Amino acid sequence: MNLRAGKLLGAVAAIAVSAGLSASAASAGEVNLLTWEGYADESFIKPFEEATGCKVSATYVGSNDDFAPKLAAGGGVYDLVTPSIDATKALIEAGFVSPLDLSKIPRHGEIYEKFRTAEGINHDGEVYGVPFSWGSIPFMYRVDKFDTPPTSLKILWDPSMEGKISLWDDKSALYVASRVIGNMNIYNLSDEELEAAKAKLIEQKPLVRKYWATAGELVDLYAGGEVWISNTWGGYQSSLLADQDIEVKEFIPEEGAEGWMDSWLMVKDSPNEDCVYKFINMATSEQGQCGMSNVNGYSSANPVAAKNCMTPEQFKDLHQDDVEYLDSLLLWENLRDRLENYTNTWNAVKASG
Amino acid sequence: MKEATRQKLTTYSVVSGPFLWTIIFLFIPYMVMFTYSFYLKKFPTFVPAFEFVNYITIVTDPQYFQVLFRTAKIAIIVALSSLLIAYPLSYVLVFKIQSKQLRTALYMAVIVPLWVSYLLRAYTWKTILGSEGVLNSFLVWSGFLDAPTDIFLYNQFSMVVTLTYIFVPFMVMPIYMALEKIPRSMIEASKDLGVGPIRTFLNVTLPLSMPGVIAGATFTICLTFGDFVAAFLVGGPNGAMIATIIQSQFGAALNWPLGAALSIVMLVIVLTIISLSDRLERAGRIDLD
Repeated sequence: MNLRAGKLLGAVAAIAVSAGLSASAASAGEVNLLTWEGYADESFIKPFEEATGCKVSATYVGSNDDFAPKLAAGGGVYDLVTPSIDATKALIEAGFVSPLDLSKIPRHGEIYEKFRTAEGINHDGEVYGVPFSWGSIPFMYRVDKFDTPPTSLKILWDPSMEGKISLWDDKSALYVASRVIGNMNIYNLSDEELEAAKAKLIEQKPLVRKYWATAGELVDLYAGGEVWISNTWGGYQSSLLADQDIEVKEFIPEEGAEGWMDSWLMVKDSPNEDCVYKFINMATSEQGQCGMSNVNGYSSANPVAAKNCMTPEQFKDLHQDDVEYLDSLLLWENLRDRLENYTNTWNAVKASG
Repeated sequence: MKEATRQKLTTYSVVSGPFLWTIIFLFIPYMVMFTYSFYLKKFPTFVPAFEFVNYITIVTDPQYFQVLFRTAKIAIIVALSSLLIAYPLSYVLVFKIQSKQLRTALYMAVIVPLWVSYLLRAYTWKTILGSEGVLNSFLVWSGFLDAPTDIFLYNQFSMVVTLTYIFVPFMVMPIYMALEKIPRSMIEASKDLGVGPIRTFLNVTLPLSMPGVIAGATFTICLTFGDFVAAFLVGGPNGAMIATIIQSQFGAALNWPLGAALSIVMLVIVLTIISLSDRLERAGRIDLD
């Protein structure tokens, strides 16, 4: 998931997570991550470095669209990447990542089965990804601006909301419009259904204040009083807004919400396999799972680890034992060769007018 | 070594640096991009080919014309509004301000913002034009408006304002230079012949400063053409520019061939503008010697 406030488009900020080599290094090694900013937080990376001697360096991406171009530009730079489940298949089929040896990942079996067996990280009988985190794409509104809380996506086409609506500047807008129309097969839309979604979104344009591109921008839009309702990355922007004393509430619309899940994938020909497996095992353990959830507000992919390290409230808030909630989400799917049709349709929406 | 040979070698060594730079960092990348524009998109990435599919897409899918037209429209409006600000300003600086120090200081005041990050300057306009921004607060406070309006930000107006503000120095610089080069004697001669100030301006000053105007317009139009930051920061739902679309082809769509074809189209447009302006400038040039 996209994380960093104020990050511009695909701009990536590369920083070394640790300033120097850990002195207590048991065995020298390194692991280079291409990931979201909150996934390489010092709170759980530092102890990992001290325990294993694997020095962690992280380069941050601004969007899921950054992984493939970065890896296409040549290997040897990164060892691990964390694309969302709709972006993994392209990396696998392009040969950018390697299958994993599950015997080296003892806690793999504890991960939600729905995630472990997801089509996007399994290919030709091999496992390519270890699920790390998940969440939903709910909608969110300013509590003080609504007398009756919105429950349906139809509110986004209500003229009374003129100039107060924001939508994520992403193909996800097509998913939203399709659900309003009643096309629930949002990841397999035909050309006609895409056209219908396009028409619906063009109809909505006069009501839209701004299509938001980064987490920071959406927070600014709410904070500046520009926007009252939008979709969001569940748990993330709402907590940033809470810090600014702006009361927003997330909700899953009647028409359903998309779900996302991020996994760790090993880049092909990584020379640091030893540290890679150590890192994946840390990420799957209490240390990595709660570390990630505490920093980002996202749910953990390993409910066993989550139960061990979360308070009962956090465990419940993050829907860790709510399989029904998980199943209700329309988990992102790879669009394969339809991706360009989706992207071009979304571009056509933005080009019109 | 003969003196002539030595001189030749010196010349070569001085020229070879920039020449190599141009080859390696401009010519070869453009050729690579040109080659890519004939490739085909094929999941998961793309495959080498020699097809015109990408160019045909650009011509047949109306979205690309729509965006190109919008980009051109905004570029021209930005150039015109920059001209309206830059010309009077340069004129006053050159002809009305007698103190050389003051003139230099004011000229620098126009140029100095260029040293501040582009992003920061574009971002600032968000805080000025926003619904709870400086402008709205002032208008409500002073009684012009009953309630804040959202018409200032997130539309093409705010993009024009931001881009004009950012690119105005590129209009001021050439016009200032052009005006400064005009010999005062020409203007005095016009006056001596009994021609009024307005006709003197229209018949003497303005024609002589045209190269500066053309250069400034070329700068601002070409810079706006390639901009996507203003669209990103202050543009609304109807803010997508051609560079925005190119960026999405290289990123989200993972369709480098189409992105490359769009880049080539944009390159051709910009080169056409530059060569047109070059011709215009030559045609309008008046020999002062």
